[in-house]
Amino acid sequence: MSDAITILLITLLIPMVSAGIAFSVKEKYGWLIPIVSSLLLLIAAIAVLFPLFGNVQLTEQFSQPWLSIGNTSVSIGILATPITRLMAAVVLFVSAMVHIFSIGYMANEKNTDRYFGFLGLFTFAMLGLVYSTNLLITFCFWELVGFCSYRLIAHTQQKTAASQAATKAFLLTKAGDVAFLIGLLILWTQNSTLELAFITSTSGVWNTVAGLCIFIGVVGKSAQFPLFNWLPDAMQGPTPVSALIHAATMVAAGIFMLVQLVPVFTPSTLWVMTAVGIVSALMGAAGAWLVTDIKKILAYSTISQLGFMILALGLGETTGAFTHLLHHAFFKAGLFLAAGSIIHAMHQATHQTEVDVQDIRQLGGLRKQMPVTFIGFAICAAALAGIPLTSGYLSKELILTAVHQKNMWWLTLSVWIIVFATPLYIFRLLWFAFLKPATHVLTVNEAPWIMRLPVILLALGSITFLFQQGHLSSFATQILQTEIAVPTRIVIISLAVTAASLLTAWLSRNLSSRAPEFLIQYFLDSINLYLVRLTTFAGSLTTTFDKKWIDRSIHTLAYGKVMLAHVAGWADRNMVDGTVHGVTWVARGLGGVTRSVANGKIQSYLLWAMAGLLIFIIWMLY
Amino acid sequence: MPYISFLIFIPIVTALVALLIPARYTRVFPWLTVGVNILQVFIFILMVIHFKVDGSLQLIEKHSWITLSLSSWGQLQAEYLVAVDGLSFPLVGLSVVIMLIATLSSWHVSKSRKGYFALLLILNGAIIGSFCALDFLLFYVFFEFMLLPMFFLIGIWGGPKREYASIKFFLYTLLGSIFILIVMIGLYLSVQSPENSTEVVHTFNVLYMQNLENFIPGSVLDATTTGSWRLWAFVLLFIGFAIKLPAVPFHTWLPDAHVEAPTAISVVLAALLLKIGGYGILRFVYPVFPDGAVYFSDWVAGMGVVSIIYGALNALASKDLKRLIAYSSVSHMGFVLLGIASATTEGIAGAVYQMVSHGIISAMLFLIAGVLYDRTHDRIIENYSGLASQMKHYTAFVLIAFFASLGLPGFSGFIGEVLIFFGAFQSQSLNNLVQMWMPIVATLGLLLGAAYYLWTIQRMFFGPFAVRANFAELNDLTTREYAMLLPLAIMALLFGILPQILLDYINPFAESFTSMWFSLGINANP
Repeated sequence: MSDAITILLITLLIPMVSAGIAFSVKEKYGWLIPIVSSLLLLIAAIAVLFPLFGNVQLTEQFSQPWLSIGNTSVSIGILATPITRLMAAVVLFVSAMVHIFSIGYMANEKNTDRYFGFLGLFTFAMLGLVYSTNLLITFCFWELVGFCSYRLIAHTQQKTAASQAATKAFLLTKAGDVAFLIGLLILWTQNSTLELAFITSTSGVWNTVAGLCIFIGVVGKSAQFPLFNWLPDAMQGPTPVSALIHAATMVAAGIFMLVQLVPVFTPSTLWVMTAVGIVSALMGAAGAWLVTDIKKILAYSTISQLGFMILALGLGETTGAFTHLLHHAFFKAGLFLAAGSIIHAMHQATHQTEVDVQDIRQLGGLRKQMPVTFIGFAICAAALAGIPLTSGYLSKELILTAVHQKNMWWLTLSVWIIVFATPLYIFRLLWFAFLKPATHVLTVNEAPWIMRLPVILLALGSITFLFQQGHLSSFATQILQTEIAVPTRIVIISLAVTAASLLTAWLSRNLSSRAPEFLIQYFLDSINLYLVRLTTFAGSLTTTFDKKWIDRSIHTLAYGKVMLAHVAGWADRNMVDGTVHGVTWVARGLGGVTRSVANGKIQSYLLWAMAGLLIFIIWMLY
Repeated sequence: MPYISFLIFIPIVTALVALLIPARYTRVFPWLTVGVNILQVFIFILMVIHFKVDGSLQLIEKHSWITLSLSSWGQLQAEYLVAVDGLSFPLVGLSVVIMLIATLSSWHVSKSRKGYFALLLILNGAIIGSFCALDFLLFYVFFEFMLLPMFFLIGIWGGPKREYASIKFFLYTLLGSIFILIVMIGLYLSVQSPENSTEVVHTFNVLYMQNLENFIPGSVLDATTTGSWRLWAFVLLFIGFAIKLPAVPFHTWLPDAHVEAPTAISVVLAALLLKIGGYGILRFVYPVFPDGAVYFSDWVAGMGVVSIIYGALNALASKDLKRLIAYSSVSHMGFVLLGIASATTEGIAGAVYQMVSHGIISAMLFLIAGVLYDRTHDRIIENYSGLASQMKHYTAFVLIAFFASLGLPGFSGFIGEVLIFFGAFQSQSLNNLVQMWMPIVATLGLLLGAAYYLWTIQRMFFGPFAVRANFAELNDLTTREYAMLLPLAIMALLFGILPQILLDYINPFAESFTSMWFSLGINANP
């Protein structure tokens, strides 16, 4: 094992050990864990990234057999490519930020041991997924990521809504995971290996099926149409957890997997991906524009952004999609943590009364009351909107270039709509939360520094301040040394569309009539409900079948036996016993006769003797 | 050292000794039993040291048992033949551990302790005997010997409907036994020992039965005889063991038996007795009648898939926690059937792995149900809510057991299922025994499994705390309960993270099993 691999292994173990300690120490010392862990995670993030500076061709792999039987062998190992290193660094960094933020956010909460334990495990699972060399191991960590998110969404487990949301999240992603597993198994029957390095690009129906099945897994995990409706509900979890889920772990896992697998997918699979990406991106944007809950807006925004990435992946633009994933990790984590600060501050201002502090219509005027959070939020929002000088702008341009190269009007049109819609909803959120005059008279205090710091760091990561070949570049494009050659035409149109969008947003800023619920979500929820009812109905059918048919036939059999026994008993009594009785009766009758004969009188004996002698003589004579 | 005989007869002899101890010394019996269990664990450790992983039978003990000369009929020969291999060794290890935990879990049995622990000891010996016997008659004796203690343990120490449950259990298994008996007699008439060429020696040796050359030409079950009864024999023997497994539609004894049985007996029933079914199919049905196995492969796989889905749906509709777990057992044992039906190395190894894993996990599940029942005497799911806030450690174990059972990677259940799927998916291209759509349908069972466990967690453990049952105190786990659950949780994790430690034992068996099939020309393209 080379030094580089050892370092990666250590970075993998840090969150694991952190989780182990968090689970085992007394809650009294629980506060130590996030402090130590976040520092270690930060160091780990740098250590992972360090070898990449100046050397992008760095690829190393270490693996060891984990399971081998027959002609199946699965190895567990660490894959160190620029892509995995960069992804791991982002996961570690965001996780560190979330740990730091949680110190403040969870200060007055209970069960922090469990919270930090699962936070560590979550990070570990995601890192394992990133480093994995074998798709089956990827799947293992993939499931583990789902389990951790389940446990974290249901952190406040007394709350029925939270546990329901967690169950829903797990079941919907599990539906995807089952398809993923089928896809893996089909891929395995075709390639007889699941090693990432050996899966080769192939064509054929079965490979398309395998690709589609794996993609369904991604649809579940990355909350795409039609399996996205768990994500808005998952907002029941603590806000820092949402930041982690949306930025670096859960939903990012799907995109990261595709980044690695897109080269082996067949063209038909890629087209399906593009279509699903477009639908999800448009729908997510619409949802984000419609709902009023601050966290749900961000959740829909994630659906939209991930759809955007999947669309790019479907077009084969892996670099654009991957850089966008990394950029998204920063600004979305920043947005969520800033939202967490707002919710935290509002909770304290309202003294935990029953005011829905997450409803953006209740907010306002926070720009002055929470200036630092405002700046952080605004920068991240700008990155999301794709405004120049931000990281989001760079990756957006990359994807737009790829779209234009395809030269298909429907594709281009829908992508421009997405580009137009994104600033629209995020400006709306910014306006309602920070810029609009306050509707309330509360004194809201700025979040403590421990919560401000992560927001600011994440916002800094969303700005492009690095230079590369005369372009501004972000950390990701800098390290990957991405060539950003965007045609001027696209730059101009993109700027115009963004400006138009912002103008529209400004003009419609006070429009607050909103649908109480996002219709498509409602629709999908009811489909889910019907599926659940159908399953429960099937369950009751099988139970009836067990009772009515199987048990009844067993009972009939048993009764049959008892009846047979009764018949045998009757026969015993009336026939066998009857025969015996009959015999005894005959015997007794005969006995009676003989008894009357043997009456003890000499004369009658003599008479019988004479009669006998007579009969004997007659018989002898004839 | 006759390790296996020690393992089998120490509990049986101790049971006889226990019968001589006056019943008023109630403290003695559990300690005596636990002593035997610990001794067995040590013996098993010694066996692990002496076990050579090379695919052959290990620790063989062979003595003549019954030899009868039947003049023109030849000779009847039954042997005391016990040994372990990659199939039985993991199951023996499982038995040893589970019996120890079952004893711990019956520590507070109050009704006639003498009888209870004596029966438990007899059950112990009979189970290990069934796993080790390689002479069909010897196996059958142990197999029948198992039923009797089980019948009384459910019928006397069970719940309110115990008589019904125990009689149902007895009738079902007796039916299975009769089928097995019929086939055993047929095999006895058809198989001769190759050891003696001068005289026909009818033998019960299973190893001889697995070789078609040992069948007497023209006998009932000889493959070359026209109008052979081999397919019928396969069906009868298969049903005999499918009842034990249990596979749908022969499963309805299981929920009733489980619901009524005391916790420890549920644990033994789920963890060990069901395994006799899978073991029997792998040891007797498939190797002795490979032609039947090929002929009926669709049916066997279909039965597996139906069990998976049907069991899961029933679990979903269950209102009683123990009933839910019982049906989940049906569902998980369906995977075993699917793996066996594929007859690939992965599928067979997966089936054995799944049996061991299910033994560990189902034991945990029933212990968990028992923990709650001990406190409240109520198992109805909807009577509970928010238990997580009152019983933190208990909830942690419930989560471990439930997620292990629903196949979360990192726990042993996942390895078993995934190996079975590996086997079942490649079967179509390798030997065409299982069509690919069957495992695809079976994956639905994974989703349903997640559904019933998650809903149970949500209803019973999350949400605001409320219990609609009479209870004195709702304490968290006691030390004794920890001692039972923790080793199982560690085992489930260990076999989930490092599967090779168990697969090293199973692989040689699975490979020789499949190579036997290859040698029979079955895997040639149809």
